[in-house]
Amino acid sequence: MQIAHYKRVLKQGLLTLAGLVLAATLTMAQTIKIGAPLPLTGPLSPEGIKQKNGYDLWAEQANIKGINVGGKRHKVEIVYYDYQSKTPRAVQLAEKLITSDKVNFLFSPFGSGATKAASGVSEKYQIPTIAATASSEAVYNQGYKYLFGTFTPNITLTSPLAKIVKSKSLGTNRVAILARNDFFPLAIANVAKKSVADEGFDVVFFEKYAIGTLDHASALTQIRAKKPAWIFATGYVNDLILIRKQMAELGVKAPVLTMIAGPAYKEFVEATGKNAENVSSAAWWHPAVRYKGNDVFGTTENYNRLFKAKFGGIPDYTQASSSASGVILQMAIEKAGTLDTKKVRDAIAALNTETFYGPIRFGANGQVVSLKPPIFQIQNGTQIVIYPKEIKQADMKMGVK
Amino acid sequence: MLTVQILINGLLLGGLYACIAAGFSLVWGVLNIINILHGSFIVLGSYIAYFAYIYLGIHPFLMAPFAGLALFGLGYLLQRGIINYVVTAPVLVTLTLTFGLDLLLNNGMLQAFTADYRKVNLTHPLGNWFVGDIVVPLDRLAAMLLSLLFVLVLWWVLRTFRIGRAIVAVRMDREAAALMGVKVAQIYAVTFGIGAVMAGTAGSLLSVIFPISPLASIAYLGKAFVVCVLGGLGSIPGVIIGGFALGIIESFGALYFGSEHALTVSFVLLIVLLVVRPTGIMGRKGYE
Repeated sequence: MQIAHYKRVLKQGLLTLAGLVLAATLTMAQTIKIGAPLPLTGPLSPEGIKQKNGYDLWAEQANIKGINVGGKRHKVEIVYYDYQSKTPRAVQLAEKLITSDKVNFLFSPFGSGATKAASGVSEKYQIPTIAATASSEAVYNQGYKYLFGTFTPNITLTSPLAKIVKSKSLGTNRVAILARNDFFPLAIANVAKKSVADEGFDVVFFEKYAIGTLDHASALTQIRAKKPAWIFATGYVNDLILIRKQMAELGVKAPVLTMIAGPAYKEFVEATGKNAENVSSAAWWHPAVRYKGNDVFGTTENYNRLFKAKFGGIPDYTQASSSASGVILQMAIEKAGTLDTKKVRDAIAALNTETFYGPIRFGANGQVVSLKPPIFQIQNGTQIVIYPKEIKQADMKMGVK
Repeated sequence: MLTVQILINGLLLGGLYACIAAGFSLVWGVLNIINILHGSFIVLGSYIAYFAYIYLGIHPFLMAPFAGLALFGLGYLLQRGIINYVVTAPVLVTLTLTFGLDLLLNNGMLQAFTADYRKVNLTHPLGNWFVGDIVVPLDRLAAMLLSLLFVLVLWWVLRTFRIGRAIVAVRMDREAAALMGVKVAQIYAVTFGIGAVMAGTAGSLLSVIFPISPLASIAYLGKAFVVCVLGGLGSIPGVIIGGFALGIIESFGALYFGSEHALTVSFVLLIVLLVVRPTGIMGRKGYE
């Protein structure tokens, strides 16, 4: 009798306890985990840190209210790993994030090369992956279903630029192209070659330089001898700083100097000083664009303000694109109302929406098609938009010294 | 005209390469240590020059000896305190040790200065000197001449001064030098210190030409390696000749084979030289 009573009390107690634990688990917000392998050290660390800043800013804003998954508010947590600017390590870490950290979604590593390398892993495990810094079409034309990118194809940068330069009177049609022998820089150089040829320019010099080149004097001397009207140099920020400096040292001048991708960063202007003047470039986003969105940031102005408050500067396209990756994922999850990877994947593919970053709609290959990348020029030490005309701040100026 | 310009570019580059490699060659030749730290020492020298220019307004060319002096202290202490314990061990041990120390120093600089590329922007650059269609960048010319000057000073010290002769003596025969009363441990530390001096001055001079970042160290180290093998180990004339050879080969390699193959050309020549003349252009095994 007595024993049976105790048993009953114990049973009830245990049941209550179990119920309490269950209730606590249910009310406690579940966390959405996103994996992000980044080059936080090594040669690409300036770019990797920019990407991290962009993700962090989005996560912070998203966590104020939480992400709405079928009526429940979820917190988001980004799991970072440093791949030390070594692409094979990025691929390993992407796999580790999926298999051992059990992330729900993935943000790609930096640049077209590493993104392409890691995309095989996320495709294998069917993890929806957003690439914030990959533009080359070869990344998206692999027939993968789970990879989405926020940069439009390279030709969307070079083609309008070639049209603008064509409209100026240059005296000659000669173009010299100097490209870093690397995935994206070479891809965009090849596309530029096509775009300028389409406008009737004559490519008189096309050379590649090895990754890690310290001295460009020989190539620049050859360019000078060709007397081009337009010099088009590709690489990452360090290469372009070096090339610009050595151009000045060797007295290489031209009416138009375009460099991709570096002049968008404040580091470029700081390091090259007055030599930065009139250098033109193009990027996928610019803080001067003005978009109204349905995302956590709302407007571009608000994004710029929040970025400045957190990091004390003006955001560039790498940071904005990284924040936009988060925004895209959040909008797709909220639309799908579930964390099921297949359904979220379909929701991303079907997105047709406005964000602070611009209108978002993906092509069949997963690359965004709805953006109009701005072209800009450094005038008086700041990046001034010269295209498209809706946000144009000034006309393109000729001449670099 | 183009050929002359390319030759000038190559010579200007070559002088700088000589300065990059001088300290590395000395340490390798005398201590039989392949000093992986050398590249990071150069970068540290560049940072010293950069901050001296930004905060004190001292021109990097003037700062060069002082940057060298600062590096001497660091080099001397590292050798005395750490490397000396394994200095007689096989070359792989010292290589691994300096590799480890380099990881510490390089990552320390990454922490302290970040990986951002900085550049000394001179308020009064010397500009260019035009001779017809030929351009001579004067800042580069000045840096190259000062580089050569420092290398020649090192040569002079090694040949005339007591300490210099002691270094050469230790290099030729460590045991005999010890029997003659040379304090070998002391000489090792001083030699390593002098190697660091050369790195510091080179870094200071290079700061006006190349962007400054801890990530540049590996490129400098690679150049030093090639120059040493081209010119011959532990020989100062060898370093100068190796430096000029590399500068000219790279420049003409870029002209005839394209920029992307400039490095390939210099490394192919390196391999050829290793096969047909393993002691380098000027090298004579074990002699100054």
